[in-house]
Amino acid sequence: MTHHFPALLIIVPLLSALIVSAMGWINRRWCFPLAVAALSGALAISVGLLTQVMATGPIAYKMAGWSPPIGITYVIDYLNAPILVVILAVALLNLIAAKTWIEKDFSEKIGAYLALYLLFLSGMVGIVSTGDAFNLYVLLEIGSLTGYALIGLGKERAPLSSLNYLFMGTIGASFYLLGIGYIYIATGTLNMADIASMIPQLAESSTLFLALIICMAGLFVKMALFPMHGWLPNAYSNAPSASAGLIAPLTTKVMIYAMVRLGLTVFTPQFTFSRGMLSEAIVWVAVAAIIAGSLLALMQRRLSRMLTYIIVAEVGYMVGGFWLGNEAGVTGATLHIINDAAMTLTLFLAVSAITWKLGSDKFEDLQGLFGKMPFTMMGFVIAALAVIGIPPTCGFFSKWYLITAGINAGQWAFVGALLFSSLTNAVLFFRIFEIAFFEPFATGHGHHDHGPTFSEAPLTMVVPLIVAAISLIALGLYSGDIVTKLIQLAIPAGIA
Amino acid sequence: MRLLALIAVILTGGLIIFQTGAFPDFGDANAPANTYLSTYYLEHGQADTHAPNIVTSVLADYRGYDTMFETTVVFAAGLACFFLLRRKKVPGGEPRIYRHMPTGITLRIADGGKLPAEDSEVFRRLDTEFVPQQLIIKNTCRIVIPFIQIFALYVIAHGHYSPGGGFQGGVLLAASIILYAISHDLRRAIRRFSEKTAALMGSLGVLIYAGTGALCLLMGANFLNYKALAPLLGVDAVMARSHGILIVEIGVAFAVMAMIIWIYYNLSSAGKHDEGL
Repeated sequence: MTHHFPALLIIVPLLSALIVSAMGWINRRWCFPLAVAALSGALAISVGLLTQVMATGPIAYKMAGWSPPIGITYVIDYLNAPILVVILAVALLNLIAAKTWIEKDFSEKIGAYLALYLLFLSGMVGIVSTGDAFNLYVLLEIGSLTGYALIGLGKERAPLSSLNYLFMGTIGASFYLLGIGYIYIATGTLNMADIASMIPQLAESSTLFLALIICMAGLFVKMALFPMHGWLPNAYSNAPSASAGLIAPLTTKVMIYAMVRLGLTVFTPQFTFSRGMLSEAIVWVAVAAIIAGSLLALMQRRLSRMLTYIIVAEVGYMVGGFWLGNEAGVTGATLHIINDAAMTLTLFLAVSAITWKLGSDKFEDLQGLFGKMPFTMMGFVIAALAVIGIPPTCGFFSKWYLITAGINAGQWAFVGALLFSSLTNAVLFFRIFEIAFFEPFATGHGHHDHGPTFSEAPLTMVVPLIVAAISLIALGLYSGDIVTKLIQLAIPAGIA
Repeated sequence: MRLLALIAVILTGGLIIFQTGAFPDFGDANAPANTYLSTYYLEHGQADTHAPNIVTSVLADYRGYDTMFETTVVFAAGLACFFLLRRKKVPGGEPRIYRHMPTGITLRIADGGKLPAEDSEVFRRLDTEFVPQQLIIKNTCRIVIPFIQIFALYVIAHGHYSPGGGFQGGVLLAASIILYAISHDLRRAIRRFSEKTAALMGSLGVLIYAGTGALCLLMGANFLNYKALAPLLGVDAVMARSHGILIVEIGVAFAVMAMIIWIYYNLSSAGKHDEGL
């Protein structure tokens, strides 16, 4: 059965989504355990695939038994195997942490919610493991459509934010599809490896170059690269807590993976980085994204909104690092996909626990939180240190590669933007530490201040948060292995 | 800002239109799209899958995995509509309107008034917006609907040979129910084809598709490789592919029909499943 793991990776979440959706109408109590079991199973399969890839090299799986390019192929290689594990681990941790939220917010529609959750995940897993450019689009549709629904039933103006996201997301996906159409016109095939094998003969084709630009533009909208980021802060901060912890760590990162996959495997680095002007321009946009994201984050007075602007800045890190086009840059961008998913998850889990206890995540309500929720705040501090980039947390290592790449390429604006953003992050998070640690907790009685009383979020929320926080340090300690045993093997020849 | 957007749109559009000049001519036999993969499909399609309609063989077999997810997209859309729109009826509140069938008199019963039994033959509930007697429309639809449904079954079953298949047939089946809901009223349509039926049928449809694929897996072949079903169906490998296509098309039809009806219920009544269109 190990031979079928690439297919099972998708089938398990897909089939369980159907069963969970049906169970929602028959016996609601079974929905949650089924979803957890399905995700645990899929996580185990992805770990199995990772060890298989590390032992024997990339795996190709022919869907319906047709060989490429006639049929659709799934390819698990050094680039996507670790990312698959991270995606499934993020989804599982968030699902457990969100148990109380889901039961409170969606008790009657739990079947539909969990089915959408699992379908979203099968979309994300599919995007990452597919070896077919059009199949990626189909799965992109699944991931986006379910994402809009998961966001739509949230706080305040969530339906409107979701609608904005839907408009922008549809435009992005349409651009990607148009680009695939151009590729098909130029090559007559949709299989990624097959397209790549034709690129050398078509190096001068303007159709193909336009295809590259259009595909990338579509993905830039989907990943919320500044200035196309308008939809992200509202959508993510108004989303229900249960969904925010799933969508914020995964969607943008998976889109960046798609960009890396397209740039390295489909268009090949020789072609992708052949027009210096294009790469240069995109790096400058990324620099603007980092600076704008950091400055906008400074202006926020709500924790979750602040985090959404940090995501905008982080997207700039990865896009800039990739388009520098040297080895350190591509390595840093890929490593940062993994690290940023873990960091964003930890931060959003902490915000979800804080919101659960306080009913708000405004800065002024956070006073005395270290005494009240020490474990949650521990996790938050570790994640904050990772985002700032302090060793031994994982954030330091990917940022180190990105800065090295900037120096190697002589792109000083990018280096400056990274340093500026690290400093801003330090200000952002230490401002919160100050409120939560030093400012007294308002008891409301006014006589004697007894200090904050211990009142932690439920265990199902705190345990996944602590696990995620520990993983940030573990990822940092093992980042050498991740880079030398996986990512460097994934980078094709032709990148200096 | 608006000017900026306009300039961006014109530039992008101009670039895309400009590029069409570099495309191969329409129908050019030497274009990459016509010389590479499509040649294979045209030459081997019928021998491989026993389906004379090449579109069907590409859609449901060569690229059947894509189609499985397209069906899932439809399913996800239905689920999303239910998740976002469906809300429980607020007890009481709005007035209701009934027609006394023997006399044709319409009665408006305000909140708190005594309501006739739900299944009363004498009083029939109407939508709150005035509904005239629609003898012709109702009877025409009653005659037409069975024929639409039979034609839909033909479209599903004949997808191998002519344009058609699960998506089109499913839409036709859904249209027949929606036509009933429009010509009569939403409540009676829901009584015949309930929300639960729609939800379970949608899951079942995708389950037929993905389950067929998983069955191939259990029979030792790759996911969705219908060839492996040959011993189960008692036919040879090529015929098994043809039957496999039919099975998944039926799954698609189930899912598409159920989801379109479910989306109609939720959209037309703003999630209340009470009155609509």
